[in-house]
Amino acid sequence: MQILVGIKWVPNTSNVRFDPKTGALIREGVPSIVNPHDLDAVEFALDLRDRYGGEVNALSMAPPSAIEGLEQVLGMGVDSAILVSDRIYGGADTLATSYVLAHAVKRISNQRGKLDLVIFGQETIDSSTAHIAAQTASWLDLPYLYYVRSVEIKENGFIAVERWLEDEKTIYDLPLPAVLGVAMKSREPRPVRLIYKIRAKAEKPIEIVTNEILKLNPNCVGLKGSPTWVSKIDYTPEVKRKREVFMDPDAGKAAKWLMQKYADEDINLIGGAHR
Amino acid sequence: MSTEHSTPNASPSTNRFDAIVVGAGPAGSSASFTLARKGFKVLMIDRGRRAGTKNMYGGRVYSEPLEAIFPSLRKDAPVHRWVKAERLSFVSDEGLTSIEYRGGESKSFTTYLPELVNWMRAKAEEAGALVATEVRVDRLVVEKEKVIGVQAGPDTVYADTVIDAEGVNRLLLEGAWQMNVPRQEDLAIGLKETIKLDAERVNQRFGLEDEGMAWILLGSVTRYIPGGAFVYTNRDSVSIGLVLFLSHAVKRTNGHISRLLEDFRLHPKLKHLWRDGELLEYSAKLVPEYWRGFMPRRLSGAGLLVVGDAAGVLLNNGMTIRGVDLAAYSGYLAAETFTKAHAEGDFTSEMLSAYGRRVEESFIGRELRKHNGLEYIRRNPHFFDQYPRLVNSGLGRIFNIGLESPTIWKALRGAQKDVGPDAWTAIKDMYKIGRTL
Ligand SMILES: Cc1cc2nc3c(=O)[nH]c(=O)nc-3n(C[C@H](O)[C@H](O)[C@H](O)COP(=O)(O)OP(=O)(O)OC[C@H]3O[C@@H](n4cnc5c(N)ncnc54)[C@H](O)[C@@H]3O)c2cc1C
Repeated sequence: MQILVGIKWVPNTSNVRFDPKTGALIREGVPSIVNPHDLDAVEFALDLRDRYGGEVNALSMAPPSAIEGLEQVLGMGVDSAILVSDRIYGGADTLATSYVLAHAVKRISNQRGKLDLVIFGQETIDSSTAHIAAQTASWLDLPYLYYVRSVEIKENGFIAVERWLEDEKTIYDLPLPAVLGVAMKSREPRPVRLIYKIRAKAEKPIEIVTNEILKLNPNCVGLKGSPTWVSKIDYTPEVKRKREVFMDPDAGKAAKWLMQKYADEDINLIGGAHR
Repeated sequence: MSTEHSTPNASPSTNRFDAIVVGAGPAGSSASFTLARKGFKVLMIDRGRRAGTKNMYGGRVYSEPLEAIFPSLRKDAPVHRWVKAERLSFVSDEGLTSIEYRGGESKSFTTYLPELVNWMRAKAEEAGALVATEVRVDRLVVEKEKVIGVQAGPDTVYADTVIDAEGVNRLLLEGAWQMNVPRQEDLAIGLKETIKLDAERVNQRFGLEDEGMAWILLGSVTRYIPGGAFVYTNRDSVSIGLVLFLSHAVKRTNGHISRLLEDFRLHPKLKHLWRDGELLEYSAKLVPEYWRGFMPRRLSGAGLLVVGDAAGVLLNNGMTIRGVDLAAYSGYLAAETFTKAHAEGDFTSEMLSAYGRRVEESFIGRELRKHNGLEYIRRNPHFFDQYPRLVNSGLGRIFNIGLESPTIWKALRGAQKDVGPDAWTAIKDMYKIGRTL
């Protein structure tokens, strides 16, 4: 199988703080990481390769610093990586991003003569839109499924795809090539291996693709190609904690104390239990 | 149709190196840089996401040993502030007494260790070392008592010599040499917080003009537990922390040890210094405290050189902690030893034992031996308890004048009766300190 996995290089939002005055993200000193849900997608793809053979390549649109993240997934065993990187791609919303990615996918598919699956993580931790996989599929006019948990190859170029919603599990037959969004936390990404990391560093299997190569219309990419604007970020004010601790080991007393506190604060528990 | 995807054949070029360095801290990065610069094929491995992420310290680095290894240090290292102010304080319930020295020249600087280590890593990589991060080495591979490589997960990679720079928590070495775990008495525990504060405030509050301050405090700041507290000024933050002798800390703290650091941060006489600052991070780590106890009997074996904290080359005399520069220099000496061994094609334990002698004969060995007598001070808890109180109580009597001031002798005698050790002990201690210094 020829598989391509999308990788986003994101600020580690568990560390991100907002400027309370401007509402803007404080990026300074916040290290970037591979979007954790993309690692699920990498694991998903590597598992397919383990079972069916073939190749897994990573694709990312990002500034050059993302090489570090690509080295991480190469360390997990991905065969090679393509970094689509150009100043004019900066400031892109999901439309402009998927536009560039779709063209990169086409180019890779033409180069390799074959592409079976394009796999993305469910969403990203820095924006959580979950747009990219769907939009890329639309640009490419390929079938698309999300919340995917597993894939089996069937005969005659079809795959059986298992998708879970909250209360149902559906199995689809999909023709290849196709685009998939992997359900987040559905996989345990494998650790980086020394041998793969050495190979990533020694052979540098990362191709950098600029717009000189892709030749996309500058009006369709980056900030110019992005109709979405963040008009305002609302800041939920911090709730001052009262730092009260009930120290008695008697659970019954503790529960009573807690319920009384709720009552004092006029907090309505589900069903108004304390009333 | 299942086809097992095969591991990329660990080709000879990717599974054999001249030297493998485990740990990309100050010791490992210096060794790798020195070796790569000489044209050796070096692999440096660290388990951190990137070099530097796993390294922590207090805040000040002595530059001269580093400059001998990295000639461009003064030009492009990530220095925050050159230290030109040194302060020592005795803190107790009775008060706070400080001694401060300000000089013109500076031979040490403050920085964030992750930044410095990443800079060293970059130098090593530029020189041609291959750096593999996010990989934990599980074991040194030993064959016929010779270390022949390292194993990480399913992979084994080979080298003529492995340089063990894994730091104070030397699990690999313990495994390879069947060593005992270190004793509590030989270790200290370090706790640190970094508090963001804009450069202007740092300057104002510590009376600085973009230069740095290194400040050691003894006494109630550790709840009188043997050890000390430190404050280092960075470019736009301060690092505050504690280093406590582990055996005492274990006995005398109940509850989480981080509470002690909280107390220090909230100390009524100190907290204004970092008021309105933002707490950026908390970290904790062990320090090899008593090198005579911690240092392994030998620093090398066949195919193996041990450097940095793992080798116990760290000096803490209460006023100065020198870990980074000594670690780096030991890495450098290991690289020099390897060079010689390579020229002779001989990596036996006899050949590599030259490294231990180099360490002993260098300033590292001399420094460590010089500060031997400090052991006495360290093992006497009243140096961290009664003496700080004595100083403050005595000065309190001298400065807090009512109608009539006491003679200095009376003030000290009164203080000694109040809080100090008995006179005989005090005389003995003073004599010992005099001799040590
Ligand atoms: C609170 C505190 C304050 C200090 N203050 C100062 C100070 O002000 N000035 C000073 O000079 N020194 C100070 N030190 C000492 C200094 O931090 C150390 O001496 C120095 O970091 C030692 O460097 P090293 O390279 O030997 O080890 P480390 O810095 O500990 O580096 C070891 C590296 O090995 C890696 N590693 C370990 N095991 C493995 C494995 N199995 N596989 C892969 N990688 C592995 C780790 O990830 C780490 O990066 C302080 C220490 C503490 C704890």
